[in-house]
Amino acid sequence: MSEQNNSGSDRIVLNVDNLRIHYATPQGDVIAVSDISFKLYEGETLGLVGESGCGKSTTAYGILQLVQPPGYIVHGSIEVEGTEVLDLTEEELRKFRWTGLSLIPQGAMNSLNPTMRVKNQIIDVIESHEGKANYEPFKDRLIAFLRKIRRPSRKEPLRKYLGEWQRNLTLLLRYEPLKERIFDLFQQVGLPNRIYNMYPHELSGGMKQRVCIAMGVALHPTVVIADEATSALDVVVQRIVAQTLVEVKDEIGVSLIVIGHDMGLLAQIVDRIAVMYAGKMVEIAPVENVYANPLHPYTQLLIDSIPSIKERKPLKITEGITHDPRNPPSGCIFRLRCPFAWEHCALEEPPQIIVEEKHEVACHLFDEQFEERRSNAFAAIANS
Amino acid sequence: MGSLSLNYIVRRLLVFFLTLWVAATLIFIIPRLAPGDPITAMVARMSQQAGFVENADLIIEGWKERFGLNDPVYVQYLRYMGNLLRFDLGLAMARFPSPVSQLVSRALPWTIGLVGIATLIFFTVGNLFGALLAWTKTPKLVKVLIPMSMIFTSIPPLLAGLLLVYIFGFLLDIFPQAYAYHHSFREPEFTLKFIGSVLHHGFLPAMAIVLVTFGYWALGMRGMMVTIEGEDYMILAQAKGLKPFYVLYRYMIRNAILPQMTALAVSIGTLVGGSVLVEVIFNYNGMGTLIFTAIREQDFNLIQGTSFILIVTSALAVLIIDLSYPLIDPRISLEGK
Repeated sequence: MSEQNNSGSDRIVLNVDNLRIHYATPQGDVIAVSDISFKLYEGETLGLVGESGCGKSTTAYGILQLVQPPGYIVHGSIEVEGTEVLDLTEEELRKFRWTGLSLIPQGAMNSLNPTMRVKNQIIDVIESHEGKANYEPFKDRLIAFLRKIRRPSRKEPLRKYLGEWQRNLTLLLRYEPLKERIFDLFQQVGLPNRIYNMYPHELSGGMKQRVCIAMGVALHPTVVIADEATSALDVVVQRIVAQTLVEVKDEIGVSLIVIGHDMGLLAQIVDRIAVMYAGKMVEIAPVENVYANPLHPYTQLLIDSIPSIKERKPLKITEGITHDPRNPPSGCIFRLRCPFAWEHCALEEPPQIIVEEKHEVACHLFDEQFEERRSNAFAAIANS
Repeated sequence: MGSLSLNYIVRRLLVFFLTLWVAATLIFIIPRLAPGDPITAMVARMSQQAGFVENADLIIEGWKERFGLNDPVYVQYLRYMGNLLRFDLGLAMARFPSPVSQLVSRALPWTIGLVGIATLIFFTVGNLFGALLAWTKTPKLVKVLIPMSMIFTSIPPLLAGLLLVYIFGFLLDIFPQAYAYHHSFREPEFTLKFIGSVLHHGFLPAMAIVLVTFGYWALGMRGMMVTIEGEDYMILAQAKGLKPFYVLYRYMIRNAILPQMTALAVSIGTLVGGSVLVEVIFNYNGMGTLIFTAIREQDFNLIQGTSFILIVTSALAVLIIDLSYPLIDPRISLEGK
């Protein structure tokens, strides 16, 4: 379980309200994200989990305003520290990106431009947001260079003198004011300085992922979204990279959303977990609660399906989302697969019920009026 | 890395020389497969003009002997290869006694200039148009206009040439219909007036090549751009909030152009072949016209010489593109290890 408990801050940095995203298809719109709402607190790490196709990545891309056609945002509100992201003009959005919200992409293997050196890919994001203002003008550098010219002294070896010339010339012609800053970033994510001049294909998968992390935090954004940032790596590298991510996050104090389906890994690094099912957010809870005492029936099945390395147990959940995403069932979205479903579930959509602070669940069982049904259902589970 | 390895250069040079040898052999064999020979053809022409040539058989025999056409084929082949190694292309038979090398050196710069400039234009324009077709931020009007400009793509350069001559040379009479420069210049000279004349004369032939070619490049580029647009790094580029134009050239065009460069290297041979017809239409005094007359006159030496030089230049162009490829695509140099 997560050691750090910095979820204490109550300042909301990201407020997603009633966000709905559709994918247009000739047979009608596929509802990828269906009216979800959640809050992200300052300094918090939120895990977003769910099966493939449940809309967790789409949610992330929706927040980043990166939903690719034929996807589009139907309605909703995304507020980052008081800025309504959906109301920004194109140019405002461009400037807001990476300073407000940054992305650590899924599949970092292909997320770096293959024909650009690593340094240039970090420099371009810094320069496009901060401008080239921190450049010393060439004229000043030339004056400084001319001042440094001197005759070699008698005793001095020629090599040393020529070396000085080379250094001064480098300062004049290959002036790299961002070099130190990028080295600092490299150090933060545990990358060696030698990759500064390398191309992406010369790096290992873990290194590429670290480059993406370094890039993601380069401008100290308010919120960083890591979209399955570690899924392409082996378990050891996965763990190390995830740890790096959390360390960097704590060091510069950003809020983090981690998307993934590796529940075990998420348990190690996040403060709260949001569980998604078929475009709906079914439960959002502090990580300890989710693992020790999952409330929503789907969360229970999901936790149950985590493979254990100690014992073999049969899979209780059936694979895949069973309904047509164009025509979701009435009432509760999960009722077709829910072991506890009863008539009421088809009638009414469950609201987000706040069971305790920062813990919400969307299930009728937790409604006061169905108290009895809940205890019966859970008792039956415990007996079997 | 990102540079040339010696191994790569050596291997590439070997392929270059192998290409030249195979090509030289082929252009030795192919003209000899056709019935007849240059001397008979020439004497026949002479007798047509004069009505009768005395001792025609003796003349033919004497000249055949002189050009070594009576020797066994392998002797001719070895002599031909030996001469090639010494860059001796022999004498033109039909235009005796001009050396082939002299005729070629007069014609070659014109063809290189014409094809080179045309290539530069259609490659730039084609790729730019293709990129704009695929780019999501291109104005709608441009996206409508570009496909319309590509209607010439499906007609052969020959017809495009004739059409251009008819419209611009004959009907509108704003461009000259033939020759590489105005006939008032007896010899090429380095004056502004002469260069202007060359550009004026070269415009239509170059356009004939560009018009029919750039559409293919635009379509190829568009396809590549669409593929690149789906890459993961494009989403990241967008998320990074980079300026759209910077993303276009540094992330999209930069990566999409790589296969286009390969395609250019492959198509240079076809291009030079295509320019032969264009040159003939415009009576442009380049290699195309020279090779055309050489074939008509069955001048073995001139056919061999001109074809060989054309192949050398094409192979050289391909070699240059190939060698510069590792400098453009940093991933390629790995292969040379």
